[in-house]
Amino acid sequence: MKPGNAIEVRNVKKYFKVYVDKGHMLRERIVHFNRNRYENREVLKGISFEVKKGESVGLIGRNGCGKSTTLKLLTRILRPNGGTIEMDGRVCSLIELGAGFHPDMSGRENIYINASIFGIKAKEVDERINDIIRFSELEEFIDNPVRTYSSGMYMRLAFSVAINVDADILLIDEILAVGDNAFQTKCFNKLKSMKDQGTTIVIVSHALGQVEKLCDRAIWIEDGLIRKDGPARLVCKEYLDKMESSRLERAELEYRMHLDEEKQRKAAEEEARKREKEEAERRRKENDRQKREAERRQKEERRRNIEEKKRKEEEERRKKQEEEALQKRKEEERRRNASCRAVAVQCSPDARREGMGKIFFTEVKMLDHLGKEQTKYNIGDEMTVSMKYFSEIPGTSANFVIGINRNDWIYCYGTSLQHEGGNFLVTKKEGYISVTIKKLNLLQGKYSLEVRIQNIEKIPYDYLISLIDFEVRSDEKKETGILTMPYEWRTNDTQIKIGKIK
Amino acid sequence: MHVILLCYYICFEVKDKMINRVKEIYEYRDMIYSLVKRELRGRYQKSVLGMLWTLLNPFFQILIYTFVFTVIFPSSIENYYIYLMTGMIPWTFFSEALGQGAGTIVSNADMTKKIYFPREVLTIASVTAKFVNMLLAFVVIFVFLLTSPLKFSYHILLLPLVMIFEYFIALGFTLFFSAITVYLRDMEYIVGVLLMAWIWATPIMYDISSLDPVIGHILLLNPMTLVVSAYHNILYYHCVPTLWTMTALLLEGIVFALIGWGIFVHLEGNFAEEL
Repeated sequence: MKPGNAIEVRNVKKYFKVYVDKGHMLRERIVHFNRNRYENREVLKGISFEVKKGESVGLIGRNGCGKSTTLKLLTRILRPNGGTIEMDGRVCSLIELGAGFHPDMSGRENIYINASIFGIKAKEVDERINDIIRFSELEEFIDNPVRTYSSGMYMRLAFSVAINVDADILLIDEILAVGDNAFQTKCFNKLKSMKDQGTTIVIVSHALGQVEKLCDRAIWIEDGLIRKDGPARLVCKEYLDKMESSRLERAELEYRMHLDEEKQRKAAEEEARKREKEEAERRRKENDRQKREAERRQKEERRRNIEEKKRKEEEERRKKQEEEALQKRKEEERRRNASCRAVAVQCSPDARREGMGKIFFTEVKMLDHLGKEQTKYNIGDEMTVSMKYFSEIPGTSANFVIGINRNDWIYCYGTSLQHEGGNFLVTKKEGYISVTIKKLNLLQGKYSLEVRIQNIEKIPYDYLISLIDFEVRSDEKKETGILTMPYEWRTNDTQIKIGKIK
Repeated sequence: MHVILLCYYICFEVKDKMINRVKEIYEYRDMIYSLVKRELRGRYQKSVLGMLWTLLNPFFQILIYTFVFTVIFPSSIENYYIYLMTGMIPWTFFSEALGQGAGTIVSNADMTKKIYFPREVLTIASVTAKFVNMLLAFVVIFVFLLTSPLKFSYHILLLPLVMIFEYFIALGFTLFFSAITVYLRDMEYIVGVLLMAWIWATPIMYDISSLDPVIGHILLLNPMTLVVSAYHNILYYHCVPTLWTMTALLLEGIVFALIGWGIFVHLEGNFAEEL
């Protein structure tokens, strides 16, 4: 295995036995002894790929193309019929959520059971049980039996366990569709931060948007072979084009089939009318019988109504509980956002705050060359990020980091104090620090600023994500990509004269 | 000769593989622990008396047998209810382990199909849960022994050893049947029928010395005969099981566990596809 690779898959093949007439029961085995034939269906016809450490890869393709099978081979649930798979590091798979949950046991107990199935020691769970509970947002219900949970709460709990696992390689199968929008975003951000910490991620998904945002690379599998392997944006786009064209073909085919059917239907209708007359006779006799039946059913209905009422009351009680919790959570969120707003006047509505506290920002501003607060710049402008901090533990060394993301999540630029001076800042009780970007080389577009104070191990004290949205503008659109570079075109060693096209 | 070859094969050819596998199962000990806990606690979770039922069940069982066999049908064996219960409780462990353990892989199909872990863990957990139940039942037996004229003797020190041997015999059988059940679903029911006959082939309700000696020897082929008579020796007759019995039990424990496990490992590769 090459150093630096997390996963190496070489020429892997997988067949499934498809039984023509499969009987599990002994009788069927004996009776159909000869008929018990099967065909080998090739699901994977030999695929090879490598994943580097820290890389995140999306597997895409239509239903049944073999992408989930690939993932199951990686988790060792299935064994390949040919080829080899090598992996380096601790693997964790998020394929089945809530495995081993016992409905009569409390959420807390179920966390332990579920985690142990992923191969996590009870000791490790002890360390992060608070993180798991907080992530699931089920603090109020964690000691209630799981059977009283709504399905959304159940999935939230299951997902929180799965995602709070320490793994070098994370395998995920189409499970990001959990809970409400807010929770999905949260899960997505969590995955993103795991990726930033260097976790290798392989994800199977039909949500191409997610793949594009999360993955550096996408592998498009078709009919058991790799059709295309490359940057997520390119592969996803090509895949979409292909899907759209085959959808159109299919629609046309269906329309033609529909026309044929219409013709047949008309012929059948004629015949049906004849039959209907005979039917009417028979129906009259049936009516008598049905009347008797209806009376019986009415009685049953009444009994069921009473039961229904009871169930509804129970549900209402639960809903109320949940609503209160939601209220609390919202308040918490509002408070946290308010804290972002308190730090920066220019705060963006999406701002989030993370970190362990102790040292935190008290003010962050983006200024232009005149020292005025500014969120709109031209290419080449000067930009200053001025930060004030407060430290509860003066004397501690800390590193200051700023980063710029484009609004489509591309990380464009980052710089830190440590890299500049080669040293950490020894914090005072309160202090001021600023970084000036002399020449803003970003191309026109919408960007957001993130700032971070972190310790030597790169664990953030205070981390403000998407804190300030800003825009870079330009009068003319000459270049494409992320940033501008000084350039010059030449032909025959003389500079081109810029003129109008003739 | 064959035995020596087999031993050679086990010692040199598959030793490393086995050790690795045991290590992996050991890594998953927390999963075994939580599954056992889930099974023990989960079963009585909703009931008012909860875990107390694991003690109350054998308690009432013994009470009823005592009543029936002292008042209604007095038996020729002295203190028959003690004789019966010292055989019945170990048998209950064995039959429950096998009867319910055979279906563990199939009934946990969702987990097996979607998550990787050594599949033995499911079976081991199921057998262990039943084993813990037996240990609790023995607490009740001790209370009855104390109040009966039999009391205990120092022979009781050998009891843990016999229990461990029985555990491995039961584990071997359960591993075998749980793997077969994946491929042949009828096995679960066949095991049920088998157990019904098996209980009569084991000297639980009767004394083996009261049988025709030929039949008595045939019964020795049944591994449970040795197990149950070892329990009887220790708790009822207050004598040491012969060295021969203990060695045979040890060998049976090792051989059945290894064979059951070997077959399980051999079949395990295709579980996810078959389920």
